Amino acid sequence: MKKRHALTIFGIILIALQFISCGGPKVSEDNAVLLPVENDPTISFRLWFKVGSQNDPSGKEGLAYITANMISDAATTNRSYEQILEELYPLAAHINSQAYIEQTIIAGRVHKDKLDKYYNLLTDVVLHPAFKEDDLQRIKSEVLNYLENSLRYSNDEELGKSALYNFVYDGTPYGHIPEGAVESVQSITVDDVRDFYTKFYTRDNVVIGLGGGFNPSLVSRLQEDLGQLPATEVDNANPSIDYKPIHGKQIKIVEKDANATAISIGFPIDLTRENRDWYALALANSWFGEHRNSSSHLYDVIREKRGLNYGDYSYIERFPNGGHRTMPPQNVALRQQMFEIWIRPVPNETRMFSLRSALRELDKLVDNGLSKEDFELTQNFYSKYVLHYAPTTMARLGYALDDKFYGVDGSHLEKLRTIIPDLTREEVNAAIKKYLQTDNMKIAIVTNNAEEMKMAMVNDTPSPISYGTPKSDMVYAEDQQIEKYPLNIEAEDVTIVPVDSMFQR
Amino acid sequence: MKSIRITALIGILTLGVCMSTSVQAKIFPYEYQTGSLENGLHYILIPMDTPELVSYYSVVRTGSRDEYEPGHSGFAHLFEHMMFRGTKNYPGDVYDKMITEIGADANAYTTDDYTCYHLNFTAQDLDTVMLLESDRFQNLDYAKQEFQTETGAVYGEYRKGRTNPWSVLFEEIYDLAYDVHTYQHTTIGFEEDIKAMPTMYDYSKSFFNRYYRPENIVILIVGDIDTSKTVSMLKNYYGDWKPGYAKPIIKPEPEQQEARAKEVTYNGRTLPILDVAYKGPAFSGTKKDYAALELLGDLAFGETSDLYKQLVIKEQKVQFIQPEFGMNRDPNLLHIFAMIKDKQDIPYVRDLIYKTLEQYKSEPVDSQKLQDLQSRQRYGFLMNLNSPDRVAGNLARFIALTGGIKVVDQYYGTLSEISPEDIQQMADKYFVKAHRNVIILEGEQGS
Repeated sequence: MKKRHALTIFGIILIALQFISCGGPKVSEDNAVLLPVENDPTISFRLWFKVGSQNDPSGKEGLAYITANMISDAATTNRSYEQILEELYPLAAHINSQAYIEQTIIAGRVHKDKLDKYYNLLTDVVLHPAFKEDDLQRIKSEVLNYLENSLRYSNDEELGKSALYNFVYDGTPYGHIPEGAVESVQSITVDDVRDFYTKFYTRDNVVIGLGGGFNPSLVSRLQEDLGQLPATEVDNANPSIDYKPIHGKQIKIVEKDANATAISIGFPIDLTRENRDWYALALANSWFGEHRNSSSHLYDVIREKRGLNYGDYSYIERFPNGGHRTMPPQNVALRQQMFEIWIRPVPNETRMFSLRSALRELDKLVDNGLSKEDFELTQNFYSKYVLHYAPTTMARLGYALDDKFYGVDGSHLEKLRTIIPDLTREEVNAAIKKYLQTDNMKIAIVTNNAEEMKMAMVNDTPSPISYGTPKSDMVYAEDQQIEKYPLNIEAEDVTIVPVDSMFQR
Repeated sequence: MKSIRITALIGILTLGVCMSTSVQAKIFPYEYQTGSLENGLHYILIPMDTPELVSYYSVVRTGSRDEYEPGHSGFAHLFEHMMFRGTKNYPGDVYDKMITEIGADANAYTTDDYTCYHLNFTAQDLDTVMLLESDRFQNLDYAKQEFQTETGAVYGEYRKGRTNPWSVLFEEIYDLAYDVHTYQHTTIGFEEDIKAMPTMYDYSKSFFNRYYRPENIVILIVGDIDTSKTVSMLKNYYGDWKPGYAKPIIKPEPEQQEARAKEVTYNGRTLPILDVAYKGPAFSGTKKDYAALELLGDLAFGETSDLYKQLVIKEQKVQFIQPEFGMNRDPNLLHIFAMIKDKQDIPYVRDLIYKTLEQYKSEPVDSQKLQDLQSRQRYGFLMNLNSPDRVAGNLARFIALTGGIKVVDQYYGTLSEISPEDIQQMADKYFVKAHRNVIILEGEQGS
């Protein structure tokens, strides 16, 4: 196993190509992120439009999401949707869209042999969407089914997380999930979609992401073809996110007939990747709650030692769809991030205990920081674990686009591998003190008998726990601390909402 | 390393030519080395030019299918949990700490036919990983109390599953379709068996001793590896493992004599789900049956099928329609799922599915469409082989079903030989009314 130069660790060479001017309008050379990978027989496309649900007009929440789907999953003026599916079929390729809060990505990957056919389809859907009524009805129906059935009734984990996001950013452009709300989605018309597209899918609002075994001529071809997009200047692309400061612990209980309780806890943090503190806090977070990893401390306390649920994690960046992925997603970047704890559903009878347990652990982290042993272990773990974040060209391309979003000087993936081993315990513990706290936060809880839980929280009623199987003496001793950990929750800070009112408007 | 990469490249780039000139062309693009130790442990090593990255898969050829003793379903999945409890040499917390120190991404999953333990890590840590993996497979040790704690977690997982309509649907359809074969229960097991698990500590030991044996396990290592060194390490770490695999006694399912149907209520809200499922064949890389049906499923119910265009795009009566034909060791089910927007349309959609299948019996499929699909299948498979974990992940089921990797080339060879007539013949053979099972699932709280 020879040591390789750091630059080739990810098999990436970021290059800036000099473009030859051909006269016609085209996408600026600053708006291209290229990851050529020698010998990769496939080509990865990520076309990033700087638009997302933060740009949804009031009353039309869900419009950015639906517009993206009307591009990736609907007819063009040249081809019916059926025709597009037929033509993609033998290529074993897809055109996908991902619309999040600040970014929309139209993406796909194709084998070199099939590049021309795929390229024609990809540019056709981006440049010539037909915005037909029947396509809109189909897509709206999918979104409504997601909101009214899947999210409210068959995925309490995602329901709790979505409720938290809307709660933390209530009243701001971040204050609704990308899929929107039932009434706003119902109100979206073909004209809304067309106007939104015209306003945001413009020549200067797109960044071309290309990875894999492409020929440099593909770059100029794409620049020229996407140059056909209108040149309109985008107005108010990044509205301000003036979230209300949180005072105390504010609770939203989503009441439904559920035999398990999902808990999500969060508060905004003013920290993103361009700051070295981010890496220090990321290391602390990796110890506290690395996603889907049994090395997570929260996981150890709640799942491993006590068997109360399936997993317990924490985040310093948004991590949508966490139930379905093990590694962080790309191109869900945000100017404003939050610290988040995700407690997967616990039996209702242990909901108070589980909530206390998570808050107590956060409290201990803020007070004590990481011990020398935990710091060293996590430093070893995390500096290698990040290697699994982006094993493919498509994922690395996503990271490279996010570098541009965050203004990272160099590559975030490389920085993870160079800065993490370089951090000191003091830096990490200082970052914990600077960004984390337990006094002011919002908590979303999906459960039944909401009033009973409210009273238990407000009265700080102790929550002793019993187990079906014996536990160690250490666990029993700690349980006595957890069961009476003070919550300090005021009655006026607890609201109860029925599940059917969630994502309604 | 270099020569392998070139082979890989040529393998992929010449695909178009291969398909038109030789139906037997190999599809798997990487060179590999296979072998067995004296105790029967089989290994497959696939070097890839992926600096630093290695994937390590231990494929146990036991899944819920092997739970043949009444009252003991769910144990294959339980072991997925138990295996993280460690050994006397490396107890669970020590194992966890060592895996954490090397920054490995470690996990496991259980299916009907196999259980898979997988790790991604850096090449320099191969020795540590092999030390720990070989140790826990040979020396797993857990106390009664730990066993009982884990059975509690499994019951929690079962209850969590019941909140999802699809888990309910799967449980019901397999219970409806099978009377004798162990596919009657899903991987997590029957609820009453899971409830009784805490009392079965001794049985759990016997389950482990019968199935966690070298003859029943394949080690698959992909990525930045030196094959000869890796083989020496395998001999060193796994060489003393004693054989002793005892085959499960699985009764074949008798031929179903008449169509079955059941209406099921899900305690929650969902659009109605229809599952039309026929008894299908066992997977084979060389026989045409499974390959032809796999193609038929996509042609008849996939995204470019006439029925999809009608029901999803034009009439918009269903949220989606999708085929799912089980690739299994023993004959499994050929499912056609549809999520229907209005429950009044359930009979309409169901009858259209029946009609479509009849049509495939009476008319050969368009040969151009078939060729397009064959191209799609091959390119789709190749394009997914873009990291060590993806290569290993895509091979795991093939390896579990057959014990080796040769089947991949065989299967894609067979797939490319399928003719419109083969598809017609298999439609006639398998889509038989008497072998049909239908579940209609509706939400108790409507939709």
